[in-house]
Amino acid sequence: MSAVTTHPQESPATVNALEVRGLVKHYPGVKALDGVDLVVKQNEVLGLAGENGAGKSTLLKALVGLVRPDAGEIWVRGEKVRLRSVVDAADHGIGMVFQEQSLVPNLTAAENIVLGSEGAGVRRGVYRWDTMRRLAQEQLDKIGSHIDPLARTDSLSFAERQMVEIAKVLRIEERTSHPPVIILDEPTSVLESAEIETLFTQVRRLREFASVVFVSHRLDEVLDVCDRVSVLRGGQSVGEVPTAGAEPADLHRMMIGSTGSDDHYHDGLAERSDEPARPRLVVKNLSGRTFRDVDLEVHAGEIVGIVGVHGSGREDVCRALFGAEPTLAGEVTLDGEKLDLSGTRGAVASGVGYVPAERKIEGMVGPMSVADNMMLTKQKARCTGPMVVPKKQATLVDTWIERLSIRTPHRGTQIGRLSGGNQQKVVLARWLVAGDIRLLLLDHPTRGLDIGARSEVYRLMRELANSGVATVLLADSLEEAIGMSDRIIVMNDGRATKEVSCPSGGKPTPLDLVKEMV
Amino acid sequence: MSTPVIADPVANPAAEPAVVTGAPTAAQRVTSFMPVIALVALLAALTIADPDFLTQRSLTAAVRTSAPLVVLAAGATLVVLCGGIDLSIAALCSLSTVFFAMWLPDLGGLTILAVVAAAGAIGAVQGIAHVVLRIPSFVVTLGGMSIFSAIALVISDAGPIRVIDRDATAWLNLYVAGYVPMSFFVAVLVVAVVSLVIKLTPLESFVRATGYSESAARLAGTPVDAVKVAAFTVSGACAGLAAVMLASRNFSGSPTMADNLLLPAVAAIVVGGTAITGGHGSLWRSLTGALVVTLLRVGLPIVGVPSAWEQILYGAIIVAAVALTLDRSKVLIIK
Repeated sequence: MSAVTTHPQESPATVNALEVRGLVKHYPGVKALDGVDLVVKQNEVLGLAGENGAGKSTLLKALVGLVRPDAGEIWVRGEKVRLRSVVDAADHGIGMVFQEQSLVPNLTAAENIVLGSEGAGVRRGVYRWDTMRRLAQEQLDKIGSHIDPLARTDSLSFAERQMVEIAKVLRIEERTSHPPVIILDEPTSVLESAEIETLFTQVRRLREFASVVFVSHRLDEVLDVCDRVSVLRGGQSVGEVPTAGAEPADLHRMMIGSTGSDDHYHDGLAERSDEPARPRLVVKNLSGRTFRDVDLEVHAGEIVGIVGVHGSGREDVCRALFGAEPTLAGEVTLDGEKLDLSGTRGAVASGVGYVPAERKIEGMVGPMSVADNMMLTKQKARCTGPMVVPKKQATLVDTWIERLSIRTPHRGTQIGRLSGGNQQKVVLARWLVAGDIRLLLLDHPTRGLDIGARSEVYRLMRELANSGVATVLLADSLEEAIGMSDRIIVMNDGRATKEVSCPSGGKPTPLDLVKEMV
Repeated sequence: MSTPVIADPVANPAAEPAVVTGAPTAAQRVTSFMPVIALVALLAALTIADPDFLTQRSLTAAVRTSAPLVVLAAGATLVVLCGGIDLSIAALCSLSTVFFAMWLPDLGGLTILAVVAAAGAIGAVQGIAHVVLRIPSFVVTLGGMSIFSAIALVISDAGPIRVIDRDATAWLNLYVAGYVPMSFFVAVLVVAVVSLVIKLTPLESFVRATGYSESAARLAGTPVDAVKVAAFTVSGACAGLAAVMLASRNFSGSPTMADNLLLPAVAAIVVGGTAITGGHGSLWRSLTGALVVTLLRVGLPIVGVPSAWEQILYGAIIVAAVALTLDRSKVLIIK
């Protein structure tokens, strides 16, 4: 990165639109950004690639003033800036199209485009519709969109709404005399392939008068639309490559890094045995609101990963198997018995456990104690008759605190005061205390955990599998799915489209799976 | 499992701090006793203003007045702990006084049980409407409040019904140990029994988990819906018991008898320090809160506060009491 050492003021022609130097951001227990460098040149499309947890989102948030970095600098066109809010970022010409759309659905496209910066669109507190329409039309014209500015936002398709978002972001041009920097966060994740082509046309059009940062999980897209790609791993910049001539596999290698010989996923622990004649979990033609005709079999002691892009429906399948998401058709049996999926109580009684992805909201009850959280589900284990027996509870909880090496001062400590990894172990222990667990559904069990805590969760998963528990895993990354699973099911648009065998020593590469996912 | 491959979890203790923050501070400990401190302070202030206040007679009168409010507030506290609100308690209590006066000639001594059971059943219907139809408890009980008031007016011909047979509830006017009015004793007994049942069984973690985070409670497989219906049932039954106390004291049932108790009951709950957002709190806190509220209503005229100022002072003290008693470390969102 030679730009760091040059003096931008002296050669305005080569001034970088945006430059990030040594950005650091810590969260309790996690280093989200650990010295990130990034250069966005004038009129280029820069791709940003990295696994989940690599720090992409934090970096983007820092660029639009939603996150304040602990250390490091952000330079805009050769000028060091401090971004305190989205408005601050807009004043410096930086705008973002959010992954979750941020439009107000019951307003018109025009209202959404001018919202927050109405300017001449409002006189004496009253909307001037003709002016607003003109202002909005100007923005839509910039991207050559034919959307009616007076159409209600919720009557537009997802792709159209995205165009409105881009038009809205382009209003920052009015705040600065310089070409803007537009950040697109996972813009293609919910689009059809034809819509993706339209989006790419827009991105190339944007490049004429702006710089673009393009974030996507789909590496072929990144290579297709970007001029350069910068790769993040574990909160650090690991390098950048020009896209000309690069292969998705090259990017992937950079994103994962050398896995090395340390057995991160405790593969050595995996025990292979002859599969029992009858599978433990049998799912036949399961259909719900977002998935259809899903077939799935999981044997005792087996870990089966389900992979798929956003919108593949895998999360809903997982919740449906726990009775937390309605099913429309299909049959699920556990050890040959039909599973009652009308609510979560039936699944729990049959020995099914579920670890939700949103640990802090759905997994644990923050203000309650470690003991209460651990015993929440299997109340019988701490009771005699209808009464809770404190001694019984203390013995049981302390045993599991020790077995899972949960670091807590006391079983009575509020779970919200523990670190993420220890919280997750308590949530896992909830399903183990009664010793009746048969099927464990893990929805992103390592989300937000640092490497040490992840490793402990992986080890626990192995031990549970070895004790005969059947596991369905929705992994946080493809590498995790491959590292932990014995078999992987690929889901696409709500259907299970492919099954990939994933035995120890014969693991597929992430790229093999990506091919099946899109 | 002693394979060398396993990463020893203790090997990297610096990886993440075990505990982010420490034990409760001294200030937090004081906060949890704040409702009691507020009660004592109020009693002291009233005594200083009028030394005659601290007599057995006026205290006995005060706690007897507080009994229906204690029962109402205690029942509704359960619903609040589950994260809901029951606005129908006062209207249901009024309706129950009408039931009591109308049924007494036929049922005699069994009337008390019948009224409590009927009110409990009505509470259960509201709870079922709330969980099955997925209507916010605020709306269900707001509608209930209106419906129960109207039913009470219709069946009573919009006027008070005299209670002629006074023997059935004569025991409520007795004194326990010579000084404690029986109605207050019953109120404390209700609080104690319900609290004990919750404390000694898994109900406590069910109720608190439901109140703090309903989605987490549901995904942990706890019987969220049953717990909520039970809370509304107890809340209704408590309204019925409060009605028995009111009707036996006034020797009549009336379709508006308890209507002015709704806001004092809600005030008692929040002054006691139960979080209106659910999860944190207890019935004992509401008992304390109800005593504070009653002392204000009874005590302010006694010490000679003009009635216009009474309401201002009453409002100001309640807001101040909540400001002092709310344990903000336990309540994540103030709404």
